[in-house]
Amino acid sequence: MTAKELEQLILAPGERELILSSLERDQLAGLKKREIPRRHLKGPELLVLWSLRIYLLFMLAVVLYQVLHGAH
Amino acid sequence: MPEAPTPWDSPRNGASSAADVVITHEDVDRGHDRVKVSAARAKGGIFSQARLLWLLLGPGVLVMLGENDGPSMLSYAATGAQFGIGFFLPFVVLTFGMAIIVQEMTVRLGSATHRGHAELIFERFGPFWGWFSLVDLGVGNFLTLITEFIAIRAGLGFFGVPPWAGVLCALVLLYSALLTHRYWTWERITLAIAAGNLVFVPVALLAHPDWHAVGHAFGTWKPLPGGLTQGFLIILLADIGATVTPWMLFFQQSATVDKGLTRKDIRFGRIDTVLGAILATAAAVATMLVTSLLFTHHMSAENFQAAEFAQALRPLIGRVGASLFALGIVEAGMVACVTISTSSAYAFGEVARRPHSLNLPIGQGRAFYSVLYLCAAVAAAIVLIPGLPLVYVVLLVNVIAVLAMPPALVFLYLLVNDREIMGDLVSPGWANALATLVVVLLTGAGVLFGVSVIAPHFFALLAGK
Repeated sequence: MTAKELEQLILAPGERELILSSLERDQLAGLKKREIPRRHLKGPELLVLWSLRIYLLFMLAVVLYQVLHGAH
Repeated sequence: MPEAPTPWDSPRNGASSAADVVITHEDVDRGHDRVKVSAARAKGGIFSQARLLWLLLGPGVLVMLGENDGPSMLSYAATGAQFGIGFFLPFVVLTFGMAIIVQEMTVRLGSATHRGHAELIFERFGPFWGWFSLVDLGVGNFLTLITEFIAIRAGLGFFGVPPWAGVLCALVLLYSALLTHRYWTWERITLAIAAGNLVFVPVALLAHPDWHAVGHAFGTWKPLPGGLTQGFLIILLADIGATVTPWMLFFQQSATVDKGLTRKDIRFGRIDTVLGAILATAAAVATMLVTSLLFTHHMSAENFQAAEFAQALRPLIGRVGASLFALGIVEAGMVACVTISTSSAYAFGEVARRPHSLNLPIGQGRAFYSVLYLCAAVAAAIVLIPGLPLVYVVLLVNVIAVLAMPPALVFLYLLVNDREIMGDLVSPGWANALATLVVVLLTGAGVLFGVSVIAPHFFALLAGK
């Protein structure tokens, strides 16, 4: 069953207009497939993101050590 | 009266015209909800405003009370039992202030873009960073979900319910709420369960706290028994992790989108968030007040689970108080099971580009519901493994949440300041300053914890002991 056929099963007369008038354009599930343009991160942003990534990995290693230490 | 129609005849970005648009089941349900909102907004007067608030509140209260989950309540309980009434009372209020700052941004993002958090990160910054944040979320959510079932199992254990029966009851309740296939109904059921978090308030009254000491603690942030130790830092991190975690960002933004909030609703989204934070703070502070009785009676509670807390409190607050305390822990775990597994399912659906809404019938949202059901079922099964070090897992989950928060917050910061997607709803300077402060505080707390693990005597040396 296609989406169009499904739609005909669900909607009562006048309901389509009601739904379209009550929702903003981007709220419709079908239109969300349109992608938002990609933004390329700049130097300082990448630096912060990589620093935090390394911080997270390092801290997870610390937590793992703490768990193993606690287990003993 | 519905709001003014969208200008369908002037499609932007190559989107279809009104006649070509396929309306899904999800759109129909959301559209009907929005008609009610428009009707309430069109009428003037205080009753219409109250109705509007009733219709629009949900994601904020749910995320805040959802974050008052099993491990969080146990962290607050451990805080009260180990440190009594003092530094941590105002500190916990401060952490909820941080949560408001952070969560308000997700309301704006969701209302302005109608996209979930995971979806925005993937589309705006590409799959490389998208996968990083999704893995952080997935791992954190799964570990947290395990701890929710631990809390449910432990809380029901107080009433003599066998672990398998407690876990099964929780799964049945979780799945029942989803059977409605309607966001609105799901939200109201979950809100009703979440209101149970306030059970800690009457329990605190039964504990007859020393109000003078409470006032003194809020005024001076003192006393802090024991000073700066590793135990203090673990509790500090656990309490921060009890109020600000990555899943909250993903959940509130996705729920805001699923509920259908728009730019016009942001004011109510903020009220919803602040109201949720006030209710959650009340429950958190109440829990600490109750278990501070254990501190004043010099009872060691370092390895307590929910049932042990309730049993230890029984001679001090009576059977009714102890039973309510245990029930509160069960409720906390239950609500978080619902919200955290939903947050995982939303994120999966957004990234995998599968339909992801609680308005979907099972047939149209198979992938979404499968993730939700599976996450919960596997976490529940793990809890039943005998000999698992449950108490330690509970505290560590909150610590891991704090460590994963700064990277998640930087993405939030970048998105909410992105004029191309936010337009005039970008964050003002003061909000950015506060968000930066939150990132610095969280990172600093994490670094302190790391130092305390690597060099356990560092703080003692610093204090000249």
